[in-house]
Amino acid sequence: MSGFTISRRTMLAGSAMLLASTAMPTSGWAQTPKKGGRLVLAADSEPRNLNPAIVASNGVFFISSKIVETLAEASFDGKDGLAPRLALSWEGAADGLSATFKLRDGVRWHDGKPFTSADVAFSALQIWKPLQNLGRTVFKDLASVDTPDDLTAVFKFAKPTPFQLIRNALPALSSVVPKHIYEVGKIEDNPANNTPIGTGPFKFGEYKAGQYYRLTKNTDYWGKDEPYLDEIIYQVLPDRTSAASALEAGEIQLAAFSAVPLADLDRISKVPGLKVISKGYEGLTYQLVVEINHRRKELADVKVRQAIAHAIDKDFVVKTVFLGYAATATGPVPKNDPQFYTADVPTYAFDVAKANALLDEAGYKRGADGNRFSLKLLPAPYFNETKQFGDYLRQALAAIGIDAELVNNDSAAHIKAVYTDHAFDLAVGPPVFRGDPAISTTILVQSGIPDGVPFSNQGGYKNDALDALIAKASETLDTAARTDLYKEFQKEVATDLPLINVAEWSFISVARDTVGNIANNPRWAVSNWADTYLES
Amino acid sequence: MSPLRRFLRTPEAVAGAILLAALIAMALSASLLFPGDPQAIAGPPLLPPFQDWSLPLGTDRLGRDVLAELFHGARTSLAVGLAAAAAALVVGAVVGTLAGFAGGLVDEVLMRITDAFQTVPSFLLALAFVSVVGPSLGIVVIAIALGTWTGPARIARAEVLSIRERDYVAGARVIGMHPLAIAFREVLPNALPPVLAMSSVIVAAAILTEAALSFLGLGDPNRVTWGGMIAEGRTVLRTAPFLSIVPGIALVLTVLGVYLAGEGIVETTAVRRGLS
Repeated sequence: MSGFTISRRTMLAGSAMLLASTAMPTSGWAQTPKKGGRLVLAADSEPRNLNPAIVASNGVFFISSKIVETLAEASFDGKDGLAPRLALSWEGAADGLSATFKLRDGVRWHDGKPFTSADVAFSALQIWKPLQNLGRTVFKDLASVDTPDDLTAVFKFAKPTPFQLIRNALPALSSVVPKHIYEVGKIEDNPANNTPIGTGPFKFGEYKAGQYYRLTKNTDYWGKDEPYLDEIIYQVLPDRTSAASALEAGEIQLAAFSAVPLADLDRISKVPGLKVISKGYEGLTYQLVVEINHRRKELADVKVRQAIAHAIDKDFVVKTVFLGYAATATGPVPKNDPQFYTADVPTYAFDVAKANALLDEAGYKRGADGNRFSLKLLPAPYFNETKQFGDYLRQALAAIGIDAELVNNDSAAHIKAVYTDHAFDLAVGPPVFRGDPAISTTILVQSGIPDGVPFSNQGGYKNDALDALIAKASETLDTAARTDLYKEFQKEVATDLPLINVAEWSFISVARDTVGNIANNPRWAVSNWADTYLES
Repeated sequence: MSPLRRFLRTPEAVAGAILLAALIAMALSASLLFPGDPQAIAGPPLLPPFQDWSLPLGTDRLGRDVLAELFHGARTSLAVGLAAAAAALVVGAVVGTLAGFAGGLVDEVLMRITDAFQTVPSFLLALAFVSVVGPSLGIVVIAIALGTWTGPARIARAEVLSIRERDYVAGARVIGMHPLAIAFREVLPNALPPVLAMSSVIVAAAILTEAALSFLGLGDPNRVTWGGMIAEGRTVLRTAPFLSIVPGIALVLTVLGVYLAGEGIVETTAVRRGLS
């Protein structure tokens, strides 16, 4: 039993760390950074398109955020949780029809041309609004961008747009790319999508498929004395078990995004010279969600959905599937969000007897074989944890007489099956909360979304009250009133359960002791790393 | 000396038979010893083996009983192995007999099809088939059979080519039997023994292929398979190596058992035929 005691302690330590990470505002490293050196780290995927203005996803940001910068970055202690990057200040008009950005002076693109407001206007109008996966929603009412001078960009909206939303979207959605490179030819086919050019602290060096990405220092960077590193090498290590051994052998100095499997963290934390860090991902919270196809008549009954919610032991999921490196969820906004989260929602305690009673009440009695009905369950293949939770959910459903058949697919087939063909009854998905419910959260429950839009409500759910709430919040300009509407939204989702939120998790970094200034902002792994350094 | 005696005198054959018998006993007793779903959560997660005697081989990452999974996994491995081998042998024997007995254009067409299948590595074929159609037990069986029927087909054809020139075949023709009846009643039964001699190799290969498919996540996720267990254990290889080692050993012993027992049978029957 000794082995189990140790791992349980680690689980508790893990949850404590996760909680602490949301409370601690500043980082604790106070050493003088050293210049020079090459940082080698593990990369588990190889995105083809490295343009973060088009593909706003963490896999792309992980590499390209060092090359292409945004207007502002998330920050632990900055005003509104932001720190300036290419924009120095930002202000929304009271009528919600415009937003003014003052830009940084003396910034140059990697090819030597000056960065101006024309680049911001071009990126916003030609890329974020029409082409970007997330920008399509947030910037849908953007009509024009005025550039009264080289260092001022004024966004004009056709309809009042809450500035809180624009502000919250800045870290992930506002990557600025050079107009002079992208104005020639079709933007999607521009070669700079594969060899990005930006204003960031590092320039794109080279990419060898299946081997590495190399970024080199931008000696002309606007940050004083920055960047400290000479080079960053992303070593492609798709096998998760190999990242841990590479760290131990000293072949790499950093493995971010939980490249080291959770089960190995306990062991690796005891290796001298390595540190396990659960900070630096607060702005990238993933949510473990049971997606429901409301076209199934059984699942259209709220009692059945409540029964399923009662059948899931969230604490068990956090402790076993996530080994403590997660938190239980109460609703569609994660607990660690400082602006919108409310705990004042209906909750569903783990209670098998109650779940069974609810199903009996709904009229689905157990048959001779003990089953009430059968379902198809599709766990998303992106994470080990989503697959394992699928295995757990099948058992949890068996306990309340629902026979779930697991269907495993690869990524492409899963997206098609769930979001285009609707060939599922239940699915396990990992949507991301991006600092504002309007960016990628309300779309999970809102009705009227065309077929085939991934990570959206494709379960046929329609709730007029909820739709009205979402519509009202999208045009409410007052920050406090808007926040209240989203609290109402959380309550409504937790009551009617269009989907079931089970847990919230983020990632873990493992690094050599010599890597400095790690995890000093809430999106550290996908920030620009200008101040990251190596001690000899 | 009776064939059974001769079989029992070969130590490898006896060892193989014992292993095979143990495997069959495991598969048959799985539901009796471990009733209910073997994937049910039975205890604390990652319990090492020999700690708690109600869970002698410990538990996996979700707290499922490894011993129960091992027994139910034996059932899947054996079922898939036997079904795939049977399908491959039947298809192979029929195709081979038709090609050999009919000759001419039919022979050409059937053998070129066989060639086409043989040029594609059988594991790749199975992999492609399962990923297109979707993983379930029946599909896995078909996928494995798809890559293995060609061997039996070629051997059956070679046998048939010599048998069809025999006098009793000519005799059957003379009394006016339908060619198909001659092929399947007179020729095929006599062409079978060398084809059947391949069965142990095919069963062993089928069990391994099934394990490999499950390891890659292309097995039926609603059933316990040894390959799936090894794949699950791989993510915690450094902390809980027993999760991969236990099903791995089971797989090795099974394949060894099937192969040795099969060889033993072939040897004894071959000697008998040689003597008679």
